[in-house]
Amino acid sequence: MRTRRIHVGAAWLITAAYILPIYVALVSTFKSQDQILANPAAPPAPFTFDNLANALARPDRLVQGGLVNSILVTTLTVALLVPLASAASLYISQRTPRVKGALLAFFALGLMVPPQVVLLPIVNLLQTVGLDRTYPGLILSNVGGGYLSFAIFVYVGFLRTVPAEIIEAARVDGASDLRIWWQVIMPVIRPATATVSIFLGLWVWNDFLNPLFILGPLQGQTITTGVYLSVGTYSTDYGQLFGIMFLAAIIPVIGYLISQREFIHGLMSGAAK
Amino acid sequence: MPSARRAARRPLGLAAFAWVAIALYLAFLIYPVLQSLLMSFTDRNPLRANSNFVGLENYRELVVDERLRTTLVFTITVVVVVTLVANAFGLGFALLLNRQSLNYRIMRTLVFIPQVLSGVIVAFIWRSILTENGLLNAALQQMGLVTEPITWLGSTQMATISLCAVVSWITIAFATVVYSAALRSVPPSLYEAATVDGAGPLRRFRHVTFPMIAPGTTITVVLCLITTFKLYDVIAVLTGGGPANSTQSTAYYLIQVAFTNNLFGYSSAIAMLLLVLTAGMAYVITHLLRKREGRL
Repeated sequence: MRTRRIHVGAAWLITAAYILPIYVALVSTFKSQDQILANPAAPPAPFTFDNLANALARPDRLVQGGLVNSILVTTLTVALLVPLASAASLYISQRTPRVKGALLAFFALGLMVPPQVVLLPIVNLLQTVGLDRTYPGLILSNVGGGYLSFAIFVYVGFLRTVPAEIIEAARVDGASDLRIWWQVIMPVIRPATATVSIFLGLWVWNDFLNPLFILGPLQGQTITTGVYLSVGTYSTDYGQLFGIMFLAAIIPVIGYLISQREFIHGLMSGAAK
Repeated sequence: MPSARRAARRPLGLAAFAWVAIALYLAFLIYPVLQSLLMSFTDRNPLRANSNFVGLENYRELVVDERLRTTLVFTITVVVVVTLVANAFGLGFALLLNRQSLNYRIMRTLVFIPQVLSGVIVAFIWRSILTENGLLNAALQQMGLVTEPITWLGSTQMATISLCAVVSWITIAFATVVYSAALRSVPPSLYEAATVDGAGPLRRFRHVTFPMIAPGTTITVVLCLITTFKLYDVIAVLTGGGPANSTQSTAYYLIQVAFTNNLFGYSSAIAMLLLVLTAGMAYVITHLLRKREGRL
């Protein structure tokens, strides 16, 4: 009993030390500038919402605009990738081993290519088709890039565990391939869809490089590039910066807390492969 | 006949999706890679209308470019340090938190948060901690460990150490969760059997835990490599690549050459080098670790 209590205490001490920077950011959000500079680690006294209010009251509406843009880009990217990748994966899974192997090798490249390698040609390509500095351009390059590879690998891996009899039975009943995909397979592979949506959602939300160079600073920005630009220009007003960051981080953090189980499950299925 | 027609139409539905996926992937991944390759043989510059074929000129530049060499040394330093530190601490953390009560579940939840936040935010938080009058110097001075504040981001050496520390801090979160998941996949009966056979905790770790979590090691090492190679946002916010360009990764330098210096041809040659390095390293490491998994 006593060793157990010591173990819990020690574990908490180490965990607390590890996440101390997050604690500092959290308390700084609710402290005045003076308090932040005088005693960064102290809890807020008095507690203030001024930083959040100031962040939201900015005349350039950086937070509101950024959040709307990020929600839009993230949702549309995931909403396009899930049907596209799941259908393509089902198609790939049903090919002969040789074709399947070739297609998977083709998509594997996307897992390894650093985004910096393809960024310039993508910007040039979008310029050619008139989609540079636009949200459709950013979303399309998200959908066609390495994220697609990730989604396909998760789906193909999961489809291996789906018994072929399910598809056969539906086919005997006269269901078309599209119908089998949407009504039979999609419900079965829901855990894979959860993994894909959660990870891609997080990556797209936190993506910095692509929005910065594809959208450019003049055509609005996502919340992540917005934080970056405010760090550069308002680096003296720490209070407001922490307010902006809190508002930028709250959605992914809450999303993580809610979907934790699927998160861990997704990582585990990755580790098992 | 209708059934035959349906049979003929059947594969088309899904195939259409597959072709759209392949087309987008060709446009936004394969074509850009090939385009980079082609551009690397030219002196393309957006400020000039025409570009010329220059053969291997850009690749010759790769060999003599001192700054590129600095970025490569820096990148490899960060990759090696982060991979070692994240794996060691991640495994240690996972072992520490590998219990099933509410306390430990909460701790495991908290530990992953650095990985959920964007690199921009994490780097800013750390920048505020590492500044001259930031939390770290204040704490060290209060404890009497240092008299003068340390410029954590000011000197080339310190900035490199700080950057490695921050990236490791982020990656430990990832490694901990992967190792935690791997640890939970070890069947308890194995431990029981080992205990019955008279194995102590150390030998149980060496002969049961360690081999069983090998797939966790593979995924952590490979992902550490890939994410560290493409590191950008943390550098941009924490050090801006400075001081004196000492904390620029090759990927960061590539963006500078392309978008600040407008040297598209040369930046494409760097891109090819980065691609070969990343793919080569990922391949070799996966291969080695898979072999190790097989042996264990």
